[in-house]
Order: sequence, then C-alpha cells, then structure tokens
Amino acid sequence: MLLPKFDFHEPATIAEACQMMAEFGSEARLIAGGTDLMVNMKHKVISPNHVVSLSRIDDLKKLDLSDSTVKIGACFTVAEITESEEIGKKLSALRTGARALGSPLVRNRATIGGNLGTARPAADLPPSLMVYDAKVVLTKSSGEREVSLDSFFKGPGVTEIQPDEILTEIRVDVPPPHAGAGYINLGIRQAQDCNLVNVASYIALDGPDGTIQSARVVMGCVGPTHLRASSAEKLLIGEKPSDELFEKAGEAAMGDCTPIDDFRGSAQYKKAMVGVLTKRTLGIALKEAKDRG
Amino acid sequence: MSEYDVINSRAPKVDAPAKATGRAVFVDDMSMPGMLYGAILQSPVAHAKIVNIDTSAAEKLPGVKAVITSKEAGLVQYGVSPARYDETIFCHDKVRYVGDEIAAVAATDLETALEAVSLIKVEYEDLPIVLTIDEAMAEGAPVLHDKYPGNLCAEVHQEFGDVEAAFKECDIIKETTFKNKRQDAAFIETQGCLANYDLLGNLTLYTSTQVPHYVQRILAMVLKLPVGKVRVVKPYVGAGFGIKAGTNPMEIISCLLSMKTGKPVKMNYSREQVFMFGRARHQFTHTMKTGVKKDGTIMALEHQCYLDGGAYSSFGIATVYYAGSLLGGPYKMPNMKYDGYRIYTNKPACGAQRGHGGVAARACWEQQLDMIAEELEMDPLEMRLKNMMVAGDTTCNDLNMSSLGMKECIEAVREGSDWNNKKNSLPKGKGIGMACGFFVSGAGYPIYRSETYHSTAYIKLTEDGGTALLYTACAEIGQGCETTFSMIAAEALGIPLDSVRVESGDTDFGVDLGAYSSRQTLMTGHAVKEAAEDVKQQVLAVLSEELKIPAEDMDIKKGVVIFKKDKPDFSEMRVRYIKEHRGWTDNPEEGDELSFKEASRIAYLAKGSIVGTGKYRPQQLGGKFKGAAVGTSPAYGCSAQIVEVTVDEGTGKVTIDKMTDAHDCGRAINRTSVEGQMHGSLSMGVGEAMYEEVKIDDKGKVINSDLAEYKIPTALDMPNMETIIVESDEPNGPFGAKEVGEGAIMPTIPAILNAVYDAIGVRIWELPLTPERVYTAIQEYKDKNK
Repeated sequence: MLLPKFDFHEPATIAEACQMMAEFGSEARLIAGGTDLMVNMKHKVISPNHVVSLSRIDDLKKLDLSDSTVKIGACFTVAEITESEEIGKKLSALRTGARALGSPLVRNRATIGGNLGTARPAADLPPSLMVYDAKVVLTKSSGEREVSLDSFFKGPGVTEIQPDEILTEIRVDVPPPHAGAGYINLGIRQAQDCNLVNVASYIALDGPDGTIQSARVVMGCVGPTHLRASSAEKLLIGEKPSDELFEKAGEAAMGDCTPIDDFRGSAQYKKAMVGVLTKRTLGIALKEAKDRG
Repeated sequence: MSEYDVINSRAPKVDAPAKATGRAVFVDDMSMPGMLYGAILQSPVAHAKIVNIDTSAAEKLPGVKAVITSKEAGLVQYGVSPARYDETIFCHDKVRYVGDEIAAVAATDLETALEAVSLIKVEYEDLPIVLTIDEAMAEGAPVLHDKYPGNLCAEVHQEFGDVEAAFKECDIIKETTFKNKRQDAAFIETQGCLANYDLLGNLTLYTSTQVPHYVQRILAMVLKLPVGKVRVVKPYVGAGFGIKAGTNPMEIISCLLSMKTGKPVKMNYSREQVFMFGRARHQFTHTMKTGVKKDGTIMALEHQCYLDGGAYSSFGIATVYYAGSLLGGPYKMPNMKYDGYRIYTNKPACGAQRGHGGVAARACWEQQLDMIAEELEMDPLEMRLKNMMVAGDTTCNDLNMSSLGMKECIEAVREGSDWNNKKNSLPKGKGIGMACGFFVSGAGYPIYRSETYHSTAYIKLTEDGGTALLYTACAEIGQGCETTFSMIAAEALGIPLDSVRVESGDTDFGVDLGAYSSRQTLMTGHAVKEAAEDVKQQVLAVLSEELKIPAEDMDIKKGVVIFKKDKPDFSEMRVRYIKEHRGWTDNPEEGDELSFKEASRIAYLAKGSIVGTGKYRPQQLGGKFKGAAVGTSPAYGCSAQIVEVTVDEGTGKVTIDKMTDAHDCGRAINRTSVEGQMHGSLSMGVGEAMYEEVKIDDKGKVINSDLAEYKIPTALDMPNMETIIVESDEPNGPFGAKEVGEGAIMPTIPAILNAVYDAIGVRIWELPLTPERVYTAIQEYKDKNK
C-alpha cells in the first residue's frame, strides 16, 4: 500500500497554518498525529493535494490550567492526557477515555484535536468531553469562534470545522464540588480495538447526599455521532441517586440510542450494552461526586 | 544437573543479535541491481467466467517490462498434495474467489506495476456464488470445479472397532455440535519473494517460506525447468504457522516474470493480499457423539465434520484426515468412526495452520468430555487421568505413543494451578477449566509419495580447525531451529555451542521437508546428530592412527579429546600444530588437554577437508487403511492446560486470568525455545477462542483484512502464563526429543470453554467468545430456565 502523492507543509505558527488552509481550502488536510489520516490516505479513501502538518506549532501543544477552566491545545497528545495528574484530578473521565484509546504507540502520536476532528462515532475522547460540556475553538485568519461539542459533530467524519478553519483548543469548565463523571468503553480486546459501545456519564449533586442537580449521559457507537441520552438525563435530574434510578436511566438511554447492525456487533447487543454501561458509569460518577464533596 | 554439556539447557537464539538490531535480512530488505517490481491482478469477483482479458494499455505504460497471463504461463496444474492439484498459475476460463490471479506485471517500480495492473481490462460474466457449506452442497448448486461435482473436494470415511456395538454398552451418550471460524495466522512478515533467473539459465528464488524443498519442486514442475536449475533460498522469515508451507502463486509468478525479462523481480503481498490468499485454518463444523460407561470409561466416538474449504484444495486433503485422526489419542478409546467432508466454496482457500486439522476437533471433544464428567459427578481431571494412555499404547487408528508424559502433564498443571482447591469453589463469574491434547512430531510421510529422506545435513570442519560449519536445508522461521540444531551438533560432536556456525534454508544444502507438522527438532535433529557423529568419528579415526589408540577408547567432550584409558603422549602432535600456527595467540599451553581444534587440524592434514553427513527418514509407520498415513508420526508430543477466567455477566466479556500449561516435549533441547513455543501456542489459542474470525461479505470479499479489525491478542490480553516442561525420553527422537510447536495449542481453546462454563454455567458451542456471543448465550439460558 503506497501513499498517494501530495505536497507537505509545515507551518510554524497558527497564523501561517490558517493562511494555508484559507488558500488550499478543501484541497488540504491537516495532520497532527496522523494515526487516522495516514491510514485513510494509504487506503486511498482520501487523496488530498496538500497535507498541512501542525507538529511544529508549539502553541497547539499547551495545557493551560486554572481553578475554573482547563484549556488543552489541539496537539496535546493522548499520552500526555494519560500522564497529567491535573487532568486526572479535574476531569477524571477524560483521562479514563485517554487511557482506553488505541495502544501506547498510538497514544504517543494521537492528539486530542485529532480524536475530535476525525469525528469517528466510536472515538474514546468525545463522550467524556461532552459530558463535561466541553467547547472547541475553531480558528481562521479572520478570527476564532467557540463551538459546543454538542453541536460540533455532524455525522461520521463530518464536523462543524470549515475548510479554512483549524481546531486549535479544547476548553472545559472544571466541574463544581459534588460532581463526578465516569467513562467505560466495551470492546473485544484490551487495546488497539474499535469500541462496540462507549458511554460517559456525569452528575452534579446539590450537596453531599443531595439530589441530582444536573446530569449528562453520552453514548458512542450507537448513532452517526455521539449521542446525548436526553431521556435518561431528564429522568435523573431532581432525583436522589440510587442503583434503581441508575438502572432506569440505563433503560431510558437504550431508548435514546439508534445503533445499527454491523460486522462488529448487532444493534440489539449494542442497545443492551448502552443500558449496562450507562448504569455502571453513573455508579462511577456518583462515587466521584461523593469523593469530591 | 543435566548429563548433557550443551542441550537440555537455555541458550539465547543464535539469530537474536541480528534480529534485535535490525540487521537480519528478510526478503523485504533485499534488492539486486536492475531489479524490477511485480504486481498481480486479482479477481474482484467471487465467481465468473473470463470473457476477455485486454492487457494492451498496461503494456504501453512506460516502465512496464512484462505483462503475463495464462497465455504465457501455461496451464500446468499444481497445488500442495499431488492427489489434488487444482490450481493453475493464472485463471484462464473462470475465477473462483475474490483474489484469484488473472495477470501480472513487472515494471521498474512498484507504483508503475500497480498502475499497469489497474489498466488491465477483464470482461467477466458473473456466475452464481456459494459461500457456505449449505449453499455449496445444495441440489443444483453452482460447481466450482467440474472435476469435483457437488463441490465435494474430499471425503473420508473411517471406522475403527465397532462404534454401534460399543454404544449399546454405554451408560451415557452425548452428542454436540461445535463450530470455529475461518482464521488468519497473522504472521508479522507478509509473504514476499525475489526471483533471479540468471544469464546461465539458473533460477534462484529468495522467498519467505516454511518449505524451500517443496517450493523448489513445484517451481521446477510448473516452470518446466530441471530441478537442478532451481534453487530456493529462505532468508529470515517472520513466521508462517502453516500458511507458508505451500507454494504461493506469487512465488511462481515472480520467477516467470524474471525469466521473461531477464531481470530480478521482487514481489510482496500487502496485508490485504495475505487475507485474500488465505490458506489458514478452515472453518470446521463438528458433530460428535461420545459414549462412556458409568465409571467414566470412554468407549466410542462417532464423529462427522464439514470443512468450509474455499476455492482450492491447498492442504485440505490432509486437513480433513487430521480432523478425524487426531482424536485417536491421548485417551484409550477402542471404537471410533469418522466421516469428514471438505467442501469447495467461492472464498479464499483454507489450508494448514498450527495444530493442523485438530484444533477445532479437540475444542469440541474436550468440552464434551467435561459435560460427561459433570453428569457422572466426576472431577473432569480425574476422568481424563482414568482414560489416559501410557507410553507404548497404540490408538485404535494405529498411532503409536512411543513416549507419553500425559499423566505427568496433568499432575503438573493440577499442582501448578492449585486445581484441587479451586475447582468447585470459585465464586460465580469466575471459572476454571482444563483440557488435554497431543500432536505429531512430524508427518510420517512426505506430501508427495517418495522414499526421500525427510532431512539431510552435513557438517564441515574448518580446515584450520576448531569450527564446525553446519549446513541444513531446514527452515528457521522464528521458532529457533537454527539454535536447536547448533546445540544438537555441538552436543553430538562434543564441542561448545559457539564453535558451531549454522547455515540453513537453502535447497543447495540438501533435502529438508521444512518447518511444518512440528517435524524439524525430531527429523532434522536426527540428521544433524548423525552428521556430527560422523565428523567426530572421522577425527577420532585419524587420532587413532596417529596415537595408536583404538578410536573407541577416545571421545570428544567440551571441546577436548577425552582419553578413556591412559593418556598418551601427544606432545609431538602438539608441536606440529603449534609450528603451523606461529604467532597465533590461541595456541595451546603445555599441560593443556588435547583440544578438538588441534585434533581437527591434524585430521585435515591427514585427510583433507573433513565433512560428515547425516540423514533421517522415519521407519514404516501406521496402519494399512485408506488415509492411514495422516496422523502417523515417529513420536507424539502432548500437553495439559488449565485456564482461569472471569466472565462479566452484564456484558458477556471474558477475561482470562491465568493459564497453566504443561507439555511433554521429550528431552528439551533448548528450554527457553520450548517455553517460547508454549507461549506462542497459548496466545494463538487465546486469539482463536476469544477474538479471531475472518469475516466475508455476501459477495465473497474479506471485510476485515487488516490487523485492526482482525483481532489477535495484544500483550495486554495475555494473562500470566505458567509453562511447565515435562520431559520424557522419546525412543524415536534425537537425544529423546520431540515436538512442542503445535501440540501446545491443542488444549487451549477447550480449556477456555470449560472455564467459561465453570464461571457461568452456560456451554458455548461456537467461536469466538466475543462479549456479544457470551452475553447472548447467557440471555438465552436465562430465558430457557425462567
């Protein structure tokens, strides 16, 4: 399998990169870790005339932490997320997702921006980022805009990013006290796998042993994009957390998802697993909410 | 302490430094001046008539040096077994699977070759396809090969004893059906080759193969060349597992292209082509009916098996026989009936893979034995012990267990896993299971009928003395046989391991049938040992003459000459040696023992180059019935395994917590290599049991032809493995050695299945144990037992 021919560019700044994307438009593809792009190019799924590398732009590799917000540069690697104590403390489910992604070799190359930008419905980072209500910054020569991940994914491989834009940063508000989140991915093997189903859940309690003030449940692999389980979320809010409640939320989530049969698994199984994983991730979220009280 | 100086120890592989540093040369690392690149046009459809092939556009592309089809290649039929030569180099009248070869191109670079292939226009007339055994056997089904009506590639009908009469004496009769899935061996190095037809008309093929000898014969036959003009050389190979034990079309095509262009031609399969070519484990559907007495005595087995063969025979004839014959042991069982059918389908051909033919059969049967033990309220381990054969026993299908450490293996895993304390006392969701198995130490007969030696070897001593050069045509494919044979040569000759240098894998070095059927340690081992003994006798004969001591009163050990009686005065000999080596820094000191180095130099001075030869051919083996040859072997390795699992009943996900494996390999030559083979077998068994399945869509195309979607175990999936070497003294093995490469995979799958049952109380009769399959089985069980 040979790579198609293309021109390779290595801009040194975001501004320079934006200029290139403005010039090349849909003729160009951005490359960060390349774990997805290279495979698709070798398979001739895409053959861009220009490949614009972000690897020399140091501004995209920053992690900016404050008490209230976490800002992660788009080229921050998945391995770096797994190693970050601070991310582990503030956004534990994101770190769980990062640890589940690919294999050590893939994690060393793959970036958070790439995992969002490629928009695979089975990706490991979107569910937890979505339950934390993360936003992405899309930058072009004329300025930048902030987009909620809720409206970022448009379909498999399709996002809100315009041809002249670059995903430069991910912004997440640090969850309040008595809030917690959990992420579980189910696959065939322990690494280097495509998930069968993955779910992240988040709940915030109104106090220690309080009721659920806000809740988010996001399901992967069971729709064209990651899906919010809105009826499960509705069912949780205002209730006191319990195993029975989480069980019901799982059942509700099963109604919220729209899986299809494919060679990896049947729709019926994926739906059933949405129920199991929703319940289990809510359990993890509750434990963390209490621990972080 | 071992009675041996070299073998029965642990030695780092002789090729480890080269491989660890990336200096080892594989086909992909090779290039030659003026070398061209070849590429193949493979059928995009599973079954169609070829109406027309137009190569004109490809021929016109600049850089293209040759385009060939069946017109140039001819229609000589070949395959693996002469009983079923059903392939031609290129299809001429029709294609039978997605991947069937139609044409090939040689060009100055790979991109041009691939582009040229895309310019070849083929007009097809679609034919209906058959993708399952049911479809292929249905009345009026489209036929792949006119010669084989009903798509029946091969059938076997055997009965030993009287199964029907035996069932009448049985207290329990169990019948179950089991299905595995089509496998890919997922070796690291895809097939590749480099053909060089030189200006003198000699053809040399460098290829990633397990069997240089068979490839040489097929090349000579198909290309109509004298076999003496054909040389096959195997560089380092990144594993084969049986798939590289036949000749692949690319090997022949590269030679044709080289002959046509007069240039070296290199070719490689991509990973997709590896899956397209197939030749790995079949999908088997086994139905077995086993009868036992109340006391647990196994009486009879009635067994039917259907093999989904794919479009060609490959190893399939042997496979369909092995699927039956390898249940003859290791339990005493006087009555066995087997009906096997291998069916053609419009898919890549299946062939041989580690544990050839026996793995799915073993998985089916060993799970059934556990069911019977449960019904009899017997410990499944005790039931196996009760029925176990011992050394010297012969199976009902005439396989002689000349050594059999099976009971010792069972006791070793019982202790190693703490079975007695765990069986029946693990919490729900956790389970423990066991199984046994055995395998041949080399097929008793070559693939083609012949009285050939199965292995020859020769050792030449360097003329200045001190180093033994070992030449064998055996195939080092990563399993460590070069190290094994260096150790055997060093032991038999009585010199240190680092005084042996080995060259292998070249048909110019002699005949060796290659690395398949776990044959090399026993068979090549014999030839190497004999060559080393021959060399030693030649050296001692010269010493005998020079020192006037009978040769039998001397020996060579650890690199020095041993005088069993009085030590003679060899000072004159030493002076002669030192005189010839003035200024050398490694001359012997006064008072030193007479070294092998001195002795071999003296031998050279007396006789010229000292060359010893060795050979091996098994004795007459097995019964006289049809198919008796398949399953015969000079010796059988055997193993027992215990597996512990955790099953997540909510998701159906199975986690393997621990595996304990004991294997009787006869005398272990290199203990580290033996353990390596055990580890490799376990991980391959885990893959087949848990994850692996080649998936094919309704048009006959493989849809998971990469190692992302065809899932073999990663390091994280492998549990802690305890590997216990059980040694027996195999009378038919060199130094008592026999196989470990394939027997060790036999118990893995059923041990996992039995452990899963122990954990959840549900039996699963289809592989792989994906979370969905296990979850569904649990749900069905719950629904049934509400």
